Amino acid sequence: MMPDKIILLVEDNADDEKLTIRALRKNNIANEVVVARNGVEALDFLFGTGDYAGRNLSVMPQVVLLDLKLPKLDGLEVLRRVRADDRTKLLPIVILTSSNEEADRIHGYGLGANSYVRKPVDFNQFSEAACQLGLYWLVLNESPPARRA
Amino acid sequence: MSIPKTALKESGGTPNAGPRGLGLTPEFAVDPFAAENSQRALLNILEDFAAEKSGLERGQRAVFNILEDFDAEKAGMEGAQRAVLNILDDFSEEKSRLEETQRAVLNILDDFETGKNRVEQANQQLKSEVEERKRAEERTLRVNREVVAANKELEAFSYSVSHDLRSPLRGIDGFSLALLEEYGDKLDEEGKDYLRRVRAGTQRMGILIDDLLSLSRVTRLEIRLGRTNLGIIARNILAELQKLDPERRVEFRTEEGIEAFTDSHLITIALENLLGNAWKFTSKQESALIEFGTTRCDGELTFYVRDNGAGFDPAYAHQLFGAFQRLHDKDDFPGTGVGLATVQRIIHRQGGRIWAESAVDQGATFYFTLPETTHGGLNDA
Repeated sequence: MMPDKIILLVEDNADDEKLTIRALRKNNIANEVVVARNGVEALDFLFGTGDYAGRNLSVMPQVVLLDLKLPKLDGLEVLRRVRADDRTKLLPIVILTSSNEEADRIHGYGLGANSYVRKPVDFNQFSEAACQLGLYWLVLNESPPARRA
Repeated sequence: MSIPKTALKESGGTPNAGPRGLGLTPEFAVDPFAAENSQRALLNILEDFAAEKSGLERGQRAVFNILEDFDAEKAGMEGAQRAVLNILDDFSEEKSRLEETQRAVLNILDDFETGKNRVEQANQQLKSEVEERKRAEERTLRVNREVVAANKELEAFSYSVSHDLRSPLRGIDGFSLALLEEYGDKLDEEGKDYLRRVRAGTQRMGILIDDLLSLSRVTRLEIRLGRTNLGIIARNILAELQKLDPERRVEFRTEEGIEAFTDSHLITIALENLLGNAWKFTSKQESALIEFGTTRCDGELTFYVRDNGAGFDPAYAHQLFGAFQRLHDKDDFPGTGVGLATVQRIIHRQGGRIWAESAVDQGATFYFTLPETTHGGLNDA
């Protein structure tokens, strides 16, 4: 279902990557999940640079699930650069992180994150959060109009 | 200067009484003519003598005059001398005045010297005080820097705990669940029970980490004081507890208008813990009662949370507020033992006190104060 809508998961922890994808699948979210393992990879995918040079940029993720603590460029810096670029400034971005620090939430929303979800330790709760995320961002939410280049 | 005639006649009239000093008297008696000649000669001599005498007298007078002149001169000189002496006297007076002045000046210099010494002493003291203050300031700055650094470190530590310690737990729990769900048919009941225990452990640890983080957060959070209605906060907390546990029937009593000048966010965390405890420890009570009110302890406004629950043995009261201290079996009343440590930290950070009274199965009362100066909300209404 909804094969044209891809999800970009920015996550450096392989366990969390596997668990997130499992939680999505368990909730019947079969969309293609592109995984970026650090901030640089995420930006390469979004802007068609580096390993993703020449990628068709008309295909943008329906939603980006962004961890904050990442090697190289951290999540907040990724968010800042995504919001600073015309091609991606309206892209739905959900911060999905372990941190429940107030400062992170304030920063995240301040930089234009669309939601902030804390990954619960209990997988059932995590799964429920993933289900609601998928439902909201992949089904209910109407995407911003596609940008004409 | 003229020769006195009377003196001459007397000499002539009474020859006997003549000048015996001449030794000529016997010759007169011998020859009257010769005597007459002699008399004449004598008279001549006398005349000559008289002339001589008047010359002498003139000389004498001249000498006298000279002497007089000299006298006058002398008087003049004496005058001059007196004048000189007077001058010298004046000079002496002047000199003693000068000496006095000099002494006065010396005294002043002495005083000045003493004063200068005192000033120097004071300066020295000031200097050492300034240095001491400087050192104290440097110490304060250093301590401040250390505190800032420690806070930064604590923040980094908390962040790390929040992020890094929870990630593996999520893995343990998630994959245990995946095993149960996807390979459950390959496990017997005991195997499944083990996995359930693994999951329970990780979830407990997750709660513990969250509680620890909230304990460290109440220390790091900046205090923002404001007039706060504690009664409304307490009512909201009770409503929330009721929502999570709809089966429970708990009577809640409180007063109208319990207000304090406090940090509303922190005091909410404190009341959540105190009322949450009251809720938890009355769970085995048939008719549970929770009260939130105020009283006066030694004249000081004191807030209290009272319940009729399990209570605690006062012998262990001193352990109540320590982190990870629990006075009940966690199977009877679950908890991590961090709640009251958090409450105490919140009250202490605002300069208040907290204590508790209880007896086993007699319920418990937790009292806390907030500094009177922060009770403006009650007085400036």
